[in-house]
Amino acid sequence: MIDIKNISFKYTKGNQIFEDFSATIPKDSNYAILGESGSGKTTLLKCIGQFLKPQTGTINYNGKDIFKLTEQDYRKSIGIVFQHLFLFPHLTVLENLTLALVHVQRKNEKDAIEQSHHTLRKLGLHEIETSFPAQISGGQAQRVAVARALLLKPEYLLLDEPTSALDNNTMNMFAEWLQGLEKETNLIVVTHDQLFAQKVASAGIYLKNGQVCAEGKIDTIIQKANLQ
Amino acid sequence: MKKNKMIFFKFSKITILSIILFSVFSFGFAEKQETLKIALTGKYPPFSFYNQQGKLAGFDVDIAKEIANILHKDVEIITTEWDGIVAGLLTDKYDAIIGSMAVTPKRAEQVLFSSPYYISGAQLFVNRNSSIQDIKDCNQKNIGVVLGETYEQFLRKNHSKIRIITYKSSIDIFQDMENGRLDGFVTDRLVGAWQIKKANKSFIKKGKLLFKEKIAIPVKKSDGLLLSQINKALSQISLSGKKKQLYDKWFALNIEPEAINQKMDSKVVSQKLMKGFAITLFVAFFSLLIGFICALPLGVILHRNKGPLYLLVRSVVDFIRGTPVLIQLFFVYYGAPQFGFTFSPITSAIITLSVNSMAYLSEVIRSGLLSVNFGQFLGGRALGLSKFQVFRFIIWPQAFRVTIPPLMNSVVALTKDTAIISVISVGEVIREAQSIISYTFNPMKYYLIVAIMFFVVTFPLMKIASYVENKVKEKGFMHD
Repeated sequence: MIDIKNISFKYTKGNQIFEDFSATIPKDSNYAILGESGSGKTTLLKCIGQFLKPQTGTINYNGKDIFKLTEQDYRKSIGIVFQHLFLFPHLTVLENLTLALVHVQRKNEKDAIEQSHHTLRKLGLHEIETSFPAQISGGQAQRVAVARALLLKPEYLLLDEPTSALDNNTMNMFAEWLQGLEKETNLIVVTHDQLFAQKVASAGIYLKNGQVCAEGKIDTIIQKANLQ
Repeated sequence: MKKNKMIFFKFSKITILSIILFSVFSFGFAEKQETLKIALTGKYPPFSFYNQQGKLAGFDVDIAKEIANILHKDVEIITTEWDGIVAGLLTDKYDAIIGSMAVTPKRAEQVLFSSPYYISGAQLFVNRNSSIQDIKDCNQKNIGVVLGETYEQFLRKNHSKIRIITYKSSIDIFQDMENGRLDGFVTDRLVGAWQIKKANKSFIKKGKLLFKEKIAIPVKKSDGLLLSQINKALSQISLSGKKKQLYDKWFALNIEPEAINQKMDSKVVSQKLMKGFAITLFVAFFSLLIGFICALPLGVILHRNKGPLYLLVRSVVDFIRGTPVLIQLFFVYYGAPQFGFTFSPITSAIITLSVNSMAYLSEVIRSGLLSVNFGQFLGGRALGLSKFQVFRFIIWPQAFRVTIPPLMNSVVALTKDTAIISVISVGEVIREAQSIISYTFNPMKYYLIVAIMFFVVTFPLMKIASYVENKVKEKGFMHD
């Protein structure tokens, strides 16, 4: 469970994004952070991902303050896929996956390759494993980025605007593909796309101007937000 | 990842090997003890030049050997450029100059001169068909002199309407006489006559001697003892008839058969050029290697773009890039001994060019790092990699690939820059070529050969650079 309590965040040279913001992200269900652009959802994701530290308030992960956990420990539990993915262009798809297994989890190379093969095959990506990121499609790149994060078996996987580079058709396929990952991890999806959120998540939060506008079941919050 | 490790190991092996080689070489070039070290240019026939066999010869060389013989010392002759020859004496690079140096009051302020060992004088030479009859006809005309010789000051003082053009050597003057850029030149009477005859040029003497010069041997002001020994030796050479013998040998032009022969044994030529080129490549290789190793951390610091360390590195790099490499070279070679560090010419060359390449390469590395999206850092951190791991496995490999083409350009530029080290007596290829030319009087041929030697080495480097550039673009991590 991720418990966000009374956080405030302001960029050094910029607007106040949150003030006294609280929310609880439950375990055991995919969760969506919805909102228009500028509503603070990516900032929230970066706070949860330990990349930004709120000026006040706490974020607890399983009862512990995440900013008191070592980065190394926290990264084991929380995976993150950025909007722009940041696949490593000088490495093949397979090498993108094995890098952290070898250097973070200290697996030997053979095991790392074996495990990555397995994951890529399971996710239908084995055909592109020797390709470089510049040689694959946007949809494939999106899935490779998720696979890369998933391989480290995080308890939560944060996805930032995963549909922004995808057309409708690819988005639908990607959403179905994500649903298949339910046993692997808990997704926290940051998106402005209501349809996508409904397909992927069962609960969520709707942000407007740094404030919670609706929280709860996905269908309910979308209805509520649209009425306002 | 194995590949990365292997590259790393190879890299360290090369580094260690280089350091060992470097030490061995520097040791090999270190100065010996208990010898009389004499400097001359080796480019001033018939006083000093490289003969057909590629050996130093000439009147000055013989005088040096005679003096050393009388003083019971071994002689070591160091060839160096004329413009830095006094600076070298003052910084203990050698004990005395036996290089046909004229006594002037200004020079006498810096050094002690021996009694003169010959008298010469300044003479105007012109083309055979020239209308110039005397120095007085030379107003508004282009007259060549060798840089640093006394003739330049004399002309400026006494014939201020002459357009004086300075040259590195008389070979260059001959070339420009033939190209029509010069109307005449002023040089030593003996040298001029000897060179013109040997080079088979149609230049002739015009007018009387402009002035007479006493030619003597300078030593450091603190070397009074050596000076008195040299004076004693000179009078002994004179009294024993040895001096007349040498005078006849070198200035009775028809006595020396080899002087008329302009060809140098091609084996000697290729040996000299190959040896010179080996030194050029040696200096370039180690300067680049050391420069690159030092540039790595500096590039990273420059890329941070903040903090006191950044400001320090930024200023040093800017200073080095903003000052001529020639002056840096003089600082290391002539300046460092004043602070107690005396380096051999090769070591000075490597130090200077290493520092220089370090400055340029650190900028190349900085821009390489700058080309990597900051997101790559986030992407790596999100996977739990440490900051160092992110740099080592994600940022650096990408930056390095982007860096290769400009890096290769710097390598090419620096390899060519080694030419400059000839001024501190490093016998690199251009200096060797100049010494061949001083004998054969065929500058175009030998400079062309040297140019081709450089091209053969730099061309593949340029090809590699463009190949890598294309590969990098294909893989899509270089922004056009």
